[in-house]
Amino acid sequence: MTEIPSNKKTGPNKHLGQWLFNPFTFVAGYKALLLGLVIMLFTALVGWLGNTHFDGVLDVHTGLEAPLWVFAAEGIIDWICLAIPLYFFGLIVSPSASRMIDVVGTQALARWPYLITAVVMLPESNRRFGAYLMSRFGLTTVQVTINYIDIIIFGFAITVGIVMAIWMVALMYRAYAVSYNIKGVRAISTFIVSLIGAEVLSKCTIFLLASICPV
Amino acid sequence: MKVLPTLCPACNSKLEVKNLICQQCDTEIQGRYELPPLASLSPDDQAFILQFMKVSGSLKEMARLLRLSYPTVRNRLDEIIERVKLAENSDKNNRKENK
Repeated sequence: MTEIPSNKKTGPNKHLGQWLFNPFTFVAGYKALLLGLVIMLFTALVGWLGNTHFDGVLDVHTGLEAPLWVFAAEGIIDWICLAIPLYFFGLIVSPSASRMIDVVGTQALARWPYLITAVVMLPESNRRFGAYLMSRFGLTTVQVTINYIDIIIFGFAITVGIVMAIWMVALMYRAYAVSYNIKGVRAISTFIVSLIGAEVLSKCTIFLLASICPV
Repeated sequence: MKVLPTLCPACNSKLEVKNLICQQCDTEIQGRYELPPLASLSPDDQAFILQFMKVSGSLKEMARLLRLSYPTVRNRLDEIIERVKLAENSDKNNRKENK
């Protein structure tokens, strides 16, 4: 049997960097979908514990208590709202054939950094700081006091949250580019349009869900 | 293992085969023969194509063997197809110029 020489492109050269920044070289399809769904459910569970809502494709908000299914539904909605427009845009701009399972599966897995966001949002300090900001802006009459530890913890959580958001968007783009074998202006422009559209769609869908099933 | 050179080291033009020799009886054949488009591919690409043929053109099987994802293998094949097309177009243009 002819041995295919090992190199960066054909593998197996699965070093940590590739797994972190482009895992879709090694995993896509049903495996990515299963892994992504498991991670999304864990994220929902951790979010429920810390009252951290992912109420938009990129949004993170904390404070409102809700049943676990709400957190799970938010994650699923966020994922689907981006996967579907990417699938259709990819069909239009890509010269390659692609499988829907690769697009939705890789987009599911691309959301894994938000598990880390959910974890760093766990401390009560985050909700206290959020409530403090609400009272400072006159959005609530409840008076909240915070200390320096709350500020540090919230600052750390926000910093990690921003880094994870950037990482997640980078992974989402990589997932799209690998699934459809596109790059350059076509890939970036269609990705940005899909992301903006998905953000709007996810917010509307979650709002609709909240109005139909109030918690 | 020696790698068949396909481009001129002096001017980077495509090389042609001028001399063929029989391993059995030492008969030499001289002429000018174009290398097939597949020969212009890198050794990695040629090995990929050979392996792809051996698994009956199954991208799924290739992904399993190479431990890569299905779209990665498909993208690799797309890139090789593009390179073969470029090589074929280049041959056509060379033949037109020679005429």
